[in-house]
Parts: sequence; structure tokens; C-alpha cells
Amino acid sequence: MRRAVTENGKIARDARESIQECVSEFISFITSEASDKCVKERRKTINDDDIIWSLGTLGFEEYVEPLKIYLNNYQEGDIKGSKSSDQNGKK
Amino acid sequence: MRQARPYSGIFCGGVSARTGPHALPLARIKKIMKRSAGEAAAAADGGARMISGEAPVVFSKACELFVAELTRRAWAATLDGKRRTVHREDVATAVHNTDLFDFLVDVVTADTAGGTGGGGHDGNGAL
Repeated sequence: MRRAVTENGKIARDARESIQECVSEFISFITSEASDKCVKERRKTINDDDIIWSLGTLGFEEYVEPLKIYLNNYQEGDIKGSKSSDQNGKK
Repeated sequence: MRQARPYSGIFCGGVSARTGPHALPLARIKKIMKRSAGEAAAAADGGARMISGEAPVVFSKACELFVAELTRRAWAATLDGKRRTVHREDVATAVHNTDLFDFLVDVVTADTAGGTGGGGHDGNGAL
């Protein structure tokens, strides 16, 4: 949140709480849509593609490309992590 | 060594003890997802529903983008009011002004109505 306002801006506690509630609702909203998709396709597991698809369907198209890139980097990081002995792979 | 990239957690601000390389705690995201998926599944076929390990990872970044956008719009509302501190009302204004955030109207309306939020909904409608 802080990164979205300029340096001289402040965010009151009530605004932070409100945005936290909005984030929870956002997750529920997207997950619900992804879940419906899985039901139609007779699948039991919601995966990352379902989430990205749901974001596109519900109007968050501009999030889709950054998320795909993020996911690729994440998976890449995992692979590198597991090869390197001095790192603990995160997942 | 994994390199920082435009969308990696490291580039965005480093690694914190609480959430690892992601800006948000994955366990909490997963908990919310399970609740939501459970409700939908129960209504549809009553079957159990599972969540893949990568879905919360995607949400971690999606929520960052969402918070950034919502806060930016709330900040714009704050500036319209000639103020410097973002308040709950600014978030509500941002939500009402944005079609994309229609699904949040009940959340912020309940907030601004105060209390349980139930009273302000039926008939009267805060709008």
C-alpha cells in the first residue's frame, strides 16, 4: 500500500483494514469463479491456470501477463534452488 | 543465485521473514481460497476441492497488483478532498468509482455504515 502513495501521503489504520477486507473478498471472488470452472470440467483441483483464467474472465485482464511472467520466474527459481546445495528450495 | 527480475519478490522489496520471497503470506491466501472453494463446491456437488501448490503463489502477486491499484485510486480520492491521509471513505469512493471493483461494494458499504453493516443494506441502501 505504501508504495502506491507518494512519500508525503499517509494511510490511516481504517483504510488499511478496509483494503485488507477487500483483498480477502478479491481472493474469495476469484477462487469462487475458478472453483465453478473446475466443477464444470469435473476436476477436483484448482490450479494456477484456473486462477489466471478467472482473473481474465472477471475483468482483471491486465493482471494476466504479469502473473504468467511471475509464475515462470518462480518456477525457474525453484529449479535453480533445488540444484544449488547451499539453498533451501522454497515451495 | 536467482536473479532479481521485474516481477520477482526480491526486486519488489526483498525477502521478509514472515512471508518469504512473496509479499503476502501464502498460508493465509490458501485458507481464504479453501473457504471460498469449499462453499462453491458444497453448493455444486458437495465434493472436496483441492488447491494446487502454485495457485496461492499466483494470488500472492495478483493481490499485490490489486492492492496497488486500489490504493492508487483511493489516494486519488484523498487528493480530490485536499487531504494527505487515506481513510476508509477514500477506499469506498475508489470502489464505487470503478466498475472493476463492483464486487467490493458490499464490503466497503458495510464498513462505512458501521457496526455489523446489516442495518444499512435493506431498503435504505447507503448509496
